[in-house]
Amino acid sequence: CAGEEDWVDSRTIYVGHKEPPPGAEAYIPQRYPDNRIVSSKYTFWNFIPKNLFEQFRRIANFYFLIIFLVQLIIDTPTSPVTSGLPLFFVITVTAIKQGYEDWLRHKADNAMNQCPVHFIQHGKLVRKQSRKLRVGDIVMVKENETFPCDLIFLSSNRGDGTCHVTTASLDGESSHKTHYAIQDTKGFHTEEDIDALHATIECEQPQPDLYKFVGRINVYSNLSDPVVRSWPIRDESPSLMLWVAIYTGMETKMALNYQSKSQKRSAVEKSMNVFLVVYLCILISKALVNTVLKYVWQSEPFRDEPWYNQKTESERQRNLFLRAFTDFLAFMVLFNYIIPVSMYVTVEMQKFLGSYFITWDEDMFDEETGEGPLVNTSDLNEELGQVEYIFTDKTGTLTENNMAFKECCIEGHVYVPHVICNGQVLPDSSGIDMIDSSPGVSSREREELFFRALCLCHTVQVKDEDHVDGPRKSPDSGKSCIYISSSPDEVALVEGVQRLGFTYLRLKDSYMEILNRNGDIERFELLEVLSFDSVRRRMSVIVRSTAGEIYLFCKGADSSIFPRVIEGKVDQIRSRVERNAVEGLRTLCVAYKRLIPEEYEGVCGLLQAAKVALQDREKKLAEAYEQIEKDLILLGATAVEDRLQEKAADTIEALQKAGIKVWVLTGDKMETAAATCYACRLFRRGTQLLELTTKRIEEQSLHDVLFELSKTVLRCSGSLTRDHFSGLSTDMHDYGLIIDGAALSLIMKPREDGSSANYRELFLDICRNCSAVLCCRMAPLQKAQIVKLIKFSKEHPITLAIGDGANDVSMILEAHVGIGVIGKEGRQAARNSDYAIPKFKHLKKMLLVHGHFYYIRISELVQYFFYKNVCFIFPQFLYQFFCGFSQQTLYDTAYLTLYNISFTSLPILLYSLMEQHVGVDVLKRDPSLYRDIAKNALLRWRVFIYWTFLGVFDALVFFFGAYFMFENTTVTSNGQMFGNWTFGTLVFTVMVFTVTLKLALDTHYWTWINHFVIWGSLLFYVVFSLLWGGIIWPFLSYQRMYYVFIHMLSCGPAWLGILLLITVSLLPDILKKVLCRQLWPTATERTQNTHCPDSSPELAPAASLQSPGALGPRPTAALRDAPTRKVPCVLWRSEEYAVLLPTRASPVTVTVPAFCRDAPT
Amino acid sequence: MAMNCNPKDEVDGGPPCAPGGAAKTRRPDNTAFKQQRLPAWQPILTAGTVLPTFFIVGLIFIPIGIGIFVTSNNIREIEGNVFMYYGLSNFYQNHRRYVKSRDDSQLNGDPSALHNPSKECEPYRRNEDLPIAPCGAIANSMFNDTLELFLVSNESDPTPKPIRLQRKGIAWWTDKHVKFRNPPGEGTLEEKFKGTTKPVNWPNPVYMLDSEEDNNGFINEDLIVWMRTAALPTFRKLYRLIERTDDLHPTLPAGQYFLNITYNYPVHSFDGRKRMILSTISWMGGKNPFLGIAYITVGSISFLLGVVLLVINHKYRNSSNTADT
Repeated sequence: CAGEEDWVDSRTIYVGHKEPPPGAEAYIPQRYPDNRIVSSKYTFWNFIPKNLFEQFRRIANFYFLIIFLVQLIIDTPTSPVTSGLPLFFVITVTAIKQGYEDWLRHKADNAMNQCPVHFIQHGKLVRKQSRKLRVGDIVMVKENETFPCDLIFLSSNRGDGTCHVTTASLDGESSHKTHYAIQDTKGFHTEEDIDALHATIECEQPQPDLYKFVGRINVYSNLSDPVVRSWPIRDESPSLMLWVAIYTGMETKMALNYQSKSQKRSAVEKSMNVFLVVYLCILISKALVNTVLKYVWQSEPFRDEPWYNQKTESERQRNLFLRAFTDFLAFMVLFNYIIPVSMYVTVEMQKFLGSYFITWDEDMFDEETGEGPLVNTSDLNEELGQVEYIFTDKTGTLTENNMAFKECCIEGHVYVPHVICNGQVLPDSSGIDMIDSSPGVSSREREELFFRALCLCHTVQVKDEDHVDGPRKSPDSGKSCIYISSSPDEVALVEGVQRLGFTYLRLKDSYMEILNRNGDIERFELLEVLSFDSVRRRMSVIVRSTAGEIYLFCKGADSSIFPRVIEGKVDQIRSRVERNAVEGLRTLCVAYKRLIPEEYEGVCGLLQAAKVALQDREKKLAEAYEQIEKDLILLGATAVEDRLQEKAADTIEALQKAGIKVWVLTGDKMETAAATCYACRLFRRGTQLLELTTKRIEEQSLHDVLFELSKTVLRCSGSLTRDHFSGLSTDMHDYGLIIDGAALSLIMKPREDGSSANYRELFLDICRNCSAVLCCRMAPLQKAQIVKLIKFSKEHPITLAIGDGANDVSMILEAHVGIGVIGKEGRQAARNSDYAIPKFKHLKKMLLVHGHFYYIRISELVQYFFYKNVCFIFPQFLYQFFCGFSQQTLYDTAYLTLYNISFTSLPILLYSLMEQHVGVDVLKRDPSLYRDIAKNALLRWRVFIYWTFLGVFDALVFFFGAYFMFENTTVTSNGQMFGNWTFGTLVFTVMVFTVTLKLALDTHYWTWINHFVIWGSLLFYVVFSLLWGGIIWPFLSYQRMYYVFIHMLSCGPAWLGILLLITVSLLPDILKKVLCRQLWPTATERTQNTHCPDSSPELAPAASLQSPGALGPRPTAALRDAPTRKVPCVLWRSEEYAVLLPTRASPVTVTVPAFCRDAPT
Repeated sequence: MAMNCNPKDEVDGGPPCAPGGAAKTRRPDNTAFKQQRLPAWQPILTAGTVLPTFFIVGLIFIPIGIGIFVTSNNIREIEGNVFMYYGLSNFYQNHRRYVKSRDDSQLNGDPSALHNPSKECEPYRRNEDLPIAPCGAIANSMFNDTLELFLVSNESDPTPKPIRLQRKGIAWWTDKHVKFRNPPGEGTLEEKFKGTTKPVNWPNPVYMLDSEEDNNGFINEDLIVWMRTAALPTFRKLYRLIERTDDLHPTLPAGQYFLNITYNYPVHSFDGRKRMILSTISWMGGKNPFLGIAYITVGSISFLLGVVLLVINHKYRNSSNTADT
């Protein structure tokens, strides 16, 4: 199948850079990139231009730059310093930050590129830096080394030319895979040998698919074309090996599977940008309106240039259009504060400082590993509160990637090794704990047969004891031997049986040796191995005991064993197996049959015939296996646990209650993955599983399968959605979808007739209606593809990907939020993620608490900023109507500059760092509160318009309030008059107070810091104004503010006016808040009412009932009873508890077994 | 080491592992601030808390409003000092070009600014190569009508008796004594202003604004008053004070008055109007019904809202009660 496949573009690699012997082929030297890994963005030279370019690509920065330039060029009402200085500050700080980050990346790259690699040149071993490796180099890799690039296995110092490789950092499978050297090269063992090798490899150009590699090696001396299907990356086999480099540097499969790290923008930032554009439009239209009105108004010459206010000669001579344009720009500058630089600074600061609360969180610190959460980008803090889909890796993320033998069931009797029960290591056979009554004598026999079956029916290899630092050390201290297998389950089983008294020693000269309970060694001759395949889902061995009896032992999935069983306690075992499967244990059934020699002869014949068949060998083998593996006697079943991470199930349950859909994407095989899904309660007892797998598609066409599934799902989708909304998703009509990688690529593959879009839509439809989706056998890029598919589906949901391995990196990068679990091996995921957490369980606090907080904080921050600047600028706009559209500012320059920088900046910054509208515990306890903020709820257009109108209303109140106070009258008690600056100062004073108090009204969490900054900034404003107006400032060319503020405060009506206007401005907002809370309360508000004891006096007694002292023996009952007596909260509470009670109850009833399992001791 | 530290291997649940150096440094501090557990007051705006506020606001604002309103309405009775204002309308003292057309340094007596006024004063900066003092459009357009008030005591005595109008005390004290200063130097005021010329529109130079030394030059109060640019195009400025002479007689007894206006100031060209206002002043300034009415309105609205909220709250209670039983 190798040579026939047509690859579009191929490369020819000359092994060891040796030209082929003349006449064989033309030597075409080819150029390939070197093995340098580049993840950095800038170089030393291009940093400044590239970084500036990138920064000014941000719409806001560009806008401020334009404003600054305009101020430099034309005569504007405000000085260029007011906008230039903050802009310069922002740009510099950002550049320094990005430069530092890139420097770190350079450092990491260098470390990678400089790690030493051994390779062979002219028959000698040379040590070089990894980046100097070239395609065609012959590389020597020692045990436990990491591969520097994509390689082809030439030989090892093992006789059979094999090695074991884990691909954990590639696809997450930490199991050992055996790779075989190419037949023609496996003889080259030493440097000198390999120097004599003349060979070329033809293979396709680099492509990202991990599981596909087609190539042909031509060895000149003995031409052949074996196919290599391996590009192992991590090696743990005991030998020295020789490899040849085929893909290097950025062309490795690994690098191709990485995606470029593009900058992620949060939904909040996107809305912010939209709002910004709205404000920009408002700004432009304001400026336009004013310009037009100005020229209309000025059309009468006595207005344009009255006798008392003449223009200079040069002004007069200026072209009308130029003048109009300058006026337009001047208006723009006058109103430009409506989009303040400080908003960006504050948002950045909020994100940066706020992210420290994640790193500081003690709850997310893992004692075991000593790791705390890491924040790699702070840009996405609030996105954590918006997640709708979670894509999680399985191995190492949901599970600990640590198989453990859990129990076995023989003839209906359950055996549990003590070791797992109480954490004690008991090496001898006394570790058996029988749950049922002890079996009889015949059972005893069956029991031993079962253990022998487990000892024999596997493909485990034993590694010698002298390699101590191997990965899978037996916990049994007596006999330390390391089992290696491509399936970790098998290792767990063999280890489990070891604890039950039977130890598998080794396979020697096709004899398997077992140490039995009595300490005797039993030897079995291994006759045949009917190896495992995923269609049969079972494997068998045929062995001959020393007594000459021939046994067939078969081990496999329950579904594949039960139909072939003719004897045994099927019902008891089946019920046990089902129970275990739902518990999330990986179950296998074991059966045997005794073969009489004649039968064995027949079997041999069948197998032999199939093996030598030239055509359809696979099919014939399968048929032979089918014939052999029948009429079995059921012995029992085993249960192996891929131990779930602590509280994984709990976390998933909470996340689902929060309205988040959890998908599991794994490279692992379906059965294993499904078991995990059951264990972490993603699939429940009542979940109806829908399979969309290659197997099924082979039977039916993809089209039919999809339509059938969608019909099944959509039939009950109505009731399903309703269930979901109520937060009480009962087990009825609960669908879980299982899809594998091959089926997915079929769905994704574009078709000639263009119907693929349809499939995609259909598939998405099915997924949307399933409560859980499991994707198995996924290549890293496919994981990213799934994420992308959901990300760009029509609702544009916010996605989160979490994983621990390098195989998760592409999906971590693709998702809106990427979270890395700081794994035991490899930190690639953590490094490429946006946030890294030590354990999966920390995701709960991360999203439900931190995400929620950050979201409400930043959304208030954004809305408030727009609000306060509408308040700020709208009076200026109104004033233009009263000053002949002359761009006269209402406020003094100092006020214009400092309003956003100091008078109103700190309260909102601190609010956006400290606010907790509901307590941490409440958020954790009631995940459904997360739904209140879903879909960017606090930044919807309705909310935005409300805030804007509130700003406009307040601005009208300030301006016209002051206007009517000042209009044509005296307000002082000595008859003296105020001027325009007093007018502006009055408006400004009212504004600063209103805007700050508005924030105070929104604050739900008053720490001393909030008190300090809110009252402090008001005080600062007053002190500043007193000072600013109290002195003739020598460096100023004007003294317009001299004593203005003090004079204003010296008259009674100003005080009365300020008080009145503040009250009027705040009144509608208070009214709206109270009415909304009373009439249409959100879940959050209800919780606030319930959980805040001082919210209303009536609630106080109810709260006191919660305290343990005043309480009887049944706290929950008392709590539940309390509200019925208390009037205002009854309705809220009854609903509240309707939601809460099942939440509280379910962990108790369901979790008990899981809890026992999770608990370490 | 790593294996030993694994709590799962511990048999009897002792301390899981001795805190290693690395773990110790990575471990976040358990402070209330870092764990976001600072003690906090958590107020919530509910009907219960807001209701009393509404009533209190209503109860406070309405009396204040009534007080202000009554005070404001009483102002017409002419007792105490009487203040004489002139008013202009349609005069844009707040035009940007106008507002900035001044030099505060010059007005503060800075000699260099006196001879070299700020560029902002253009085109009223120099005249015939001499710096204008005071420069700028504001000074140039100073109000220069003269208003005189005469009382015709009774019909038998037709000769009008002039009312004494005080020229001092009409400007802010700080302006007169700090912000505005005549240039330093020896000699008469005229000598101090040597080398400057009068604003184009003025009949006399700045040192001839008044006969009294302490009300002449830059510290002339009429000038200071004019220099404080008005906020709105229709404005009034304090012109003169009429002081009450004794307690027995009203400041301006009932009778017939003459107002003699020396008309200098052109307002027709910009469609302006001139007014003269006589007013007394209370603690809260001149007559202005706005504040009083506003207070009464806001107070009533607040009271009304309180009642509405009370009703809503009450209804809500009732419905929840019935729903519960």
